[in-house]
Amino acid sequence: VPTPMKSVHCKPLFFDLALNHISFPSLEHKVETSKKKQQQQQHQQEAAPGGGLTGLVSRWWGMGGNN
Amino acid sequence: MATREARLNGYYSELRKLIEASNYQKVIKAANKIIGEEPKEVEAWRCKVVAQINLDSFHDALVTTIKSKHTIELAFEKSYCEYRLNKVKEAYDTVCTVTDPKPDLRILELKAQILYRLERYDDCHGVYRDIIRTTSDDYDLERLTNLSAVTVHRDEGDESEEEES
Repeated sequence: VPTPMKSVHCKPLFFDLALNHISFPSLEHKVETSKKKQQQQQHQQEAAPGGGLTGLVSRWWGMGGNN
Repeated sequence: MATREARLNGYYSELRKLIEASNYQKVIKAANKIIGEEPKEVEAWRCKVVAQINLDSFHDALVTTIKSKHTIELAFEKSYCEYRLNKVKEAYDTVCTVTDPKPDLRILELKAQILYRLERYDDCHGVYRDIIRTTSDDYDLERLTNLSAVTVHRDEGDESEEEES
């Protein structure tokens, strides 16, 4: 004889919310630092011979003075 | 010839584009290039693991976290993989290695889910109450749903104890 039917709890809903926190890291600083360094190097290269644009202007002034 | 740093930067900008395009297979390849050159690059390891998780390759992702030798930094990802592979005890041990006195939300949320699987409903209930008290975002409703699931199991536990006694 089968045992009488008995109601059981249904399996409650349970969400995987930790999955939302699986995300790629920001690589901004990894790419930016290189750009900054390249810019710095460029600035240094520009500044080295005669001080770049300001050097050029002062040389013009200097030339004007000589004339 | 490009310096090593310039090469790594090139790889990282390639990696960033692939992440934006959600091309996870290629993300893994690009991360491998960086790791091959410099195994200490945690960000590259993390990208590889996250891509593998997105591809549902939890076993591969777990192997990656172990191979990386950055298991402290990648504790959350490692524990999540163990949780998804039903290695719940290991997942719990891994999440407990994060000894931050103020653990961030992702650690707490994962810990709560692991405690649920471990059927430690009282502890789980405590963690969810803490999270719900201190957090407000788009997932408040889902968290309440999880809390009520925990409550159901706690009540079941009480009932069976009553039946036994």
